[in-house]
Amino acid sequence: MAGEKIDIETIKAMLNLSDEDLVKPLPIPTRWSQPFWDASKEHRLVLKKCSACGYIDHPPYLYCTNCHADEHEWVEASGKATLASYAINTFGVPFPFWVDLPYVVAMIDLPEGPRMISNIVECDHDKLENGMELEVVFDDVTDEITLPKWRPVDKTKRG
Amino acid sequence: MGAGDFAVIGTGEVPTGNYPERSEFEIAYEVSRMAIRDAGIDKNEIGAVLTAGHIMSNPDNDYNTEMFFGRLPEAIGANGCSVVATTISGGASSFSIRKTAEGILESGETDTVLVVHAQRFSQFTANEQARYFAVAGSDVEWEVPYGMTYNSLAAIVTTGYMAYTGATIEQVAAVCVACRKWAMLQPNAMFNNKEITVEKVVNARMVSYPLTTLMCNVLGDGGSAYIMTTAENARKVCDRPVYVLGEASEYSHRTITRSVQKDPGKMGDDLAVTAKRAYENSSLGPEDMNIFEIYGSYPVISLIVMDSLGIPDERPSGELVLAGETGPGGKYPVSTNGEAMSFGHTGTGVGFSTFVESVRQLQGRAGAAQVEGAKFLVENCGGGAFMDCHFTVMGNEVPG
Repeated sequence: MAGEKIDIETIKAMLNLSDEDLVKPLPIPTRWSQPFWDASKEHRLVLKKCSACGYIDHPPYLYCTNCHADEHEWVEASGKATLASYAINTFGVPFPFWVDLPYVVAMIDLPEGPRMISNIVECDHDKLENGMELEVVFDDVTDEITLPKWRPVDKTKRG
Repeated sequence: MGAGDFAVIGTGEVPTGNYPERSEFEIAYEVSRMAIRDAGIDKNEIGAVLTAGHIMSNPDNDYNTEMFFGRLPEAIGANGCSVVATTISGGASSFSIRKTAEGILESGETDTVLVVHAQRFSQFTANEQARYFAVAGSDVEWEVPYGMTYNSLAAIVTTGYMAYTGATIEQVAAVCVACRKWAMLQPNAMFNNKEITVEKVVNARMVSYPLTTLMCNVLGDGGSAYIMTTAENARKVCDRPVYVLGEASEYSHRTITRSVQKDPGKMGDDLAVTAKRAYENSSLGPEDMNIFEIYGSYPVISLIVMDSLGIPDERPSGELVLAGETGPGGKYPVSTNGEAMSFGHTGTGVGFSTFVESVRQLQGRAGAAQVEGAKFLVENCGGGAFMDCHFTVMGNEVPG
């Protein structure tokens, strides 16, 4: 890919960035999304399912976006997904993510219905293909927050 | 309301680019006076002053606050003003503010409305801009922690569109080339002095695969204004009014994962339903359009909107663009000011510059970019993470 890599230390000096400017943003759970992050911390992927109509909302909202019912349960997801589409970030990302370049952000489809934005990790970027099979992995980014991410099921496509 | 009830009678615009010394206030005052002079009306005829909320305000001297608390009517001496309002819906602001203007005109409170946009990104540091745009297009809880950006959002849509439609990266790049060709004819465009080629666009530095730097829009300072009135009044005070002939809108989602259309190759199908309504409301069709004023912001969005507009040609949108049909001299002129890609991205203002350019074209005052004999065109805008889409059919006459 065209373009030389620019070191984050160079940018830090050039733009007079503080250490705080390089701290990655974390999810700030809401009252209605907290169970998702609690489960993720235990390396479980859960989804919010409406008890009245069975609709699964992701992102979860305060009440069901399909029928407006309050009652819901958190169900275990299969941990499988397919890649709907992707981008490989190589430049011009928020400074906290500079050290990760190049990295993949992708739109993934869960067999349970919802679609998510996440990172595809442990993958050979040249072997990324829309429709490829993925499985969930958990990244414990802090003591409090674990981000579910995804990797190719096919080991020959891992990097 | 029927077709052709409202009209625009004058516009004003400042150059887009890096102008750190030019405040939003200065832009707003300047484009207001330009639009008033251009319309040939007395400033005291203005009964309502509408400003678009801008993004990334300076908290020490907040333009948005000053505008919605009535700074502008005082500053321009609009002594007949009775209504002040600010409207904002991101990139769709140009549409939502025009609907506000139409509502005020319809209410009978006044028959003359001034509409203004101003933005100055260059007052903010690169880090402040990076922080803002890390969260502007993406969900802070579900996307931002993964390093999602506006560019990656567009890249994801591009990868999907190419996979599902067979469009090539050269076709995507050709959109940027056509935009640059138009911008070269526009004195107010940010990038108007250097031609680019498909090869150069494809081989530029990769930002978010498959998008290179030249496939990503660049932020610029800028602003524009226009005067809107009833068609009845327009015919009295203006010899070249431009009429709003038909409009239609659709909202889909906030988060891209919740888009009503799941297949990135078929987003145009959904937009086509809305475009068709706009055409029907105007009693015109795509074959009547002389220009397609698309607000893409990224080349793939331009292709998707083209797909939806029913351009009367068998060739797919990407092929049309690569063949030069959407550039100057082409059969189907698209985005004649060079759009966000080459005119510059002024935040909530891209739709305003598209609209103001539409008016200029239909008034026969678009200078070197003038499409000869332009009589009818369709214009669009949308905001957020491609959250919505609005189409407007405009003309310099009301079809009988």
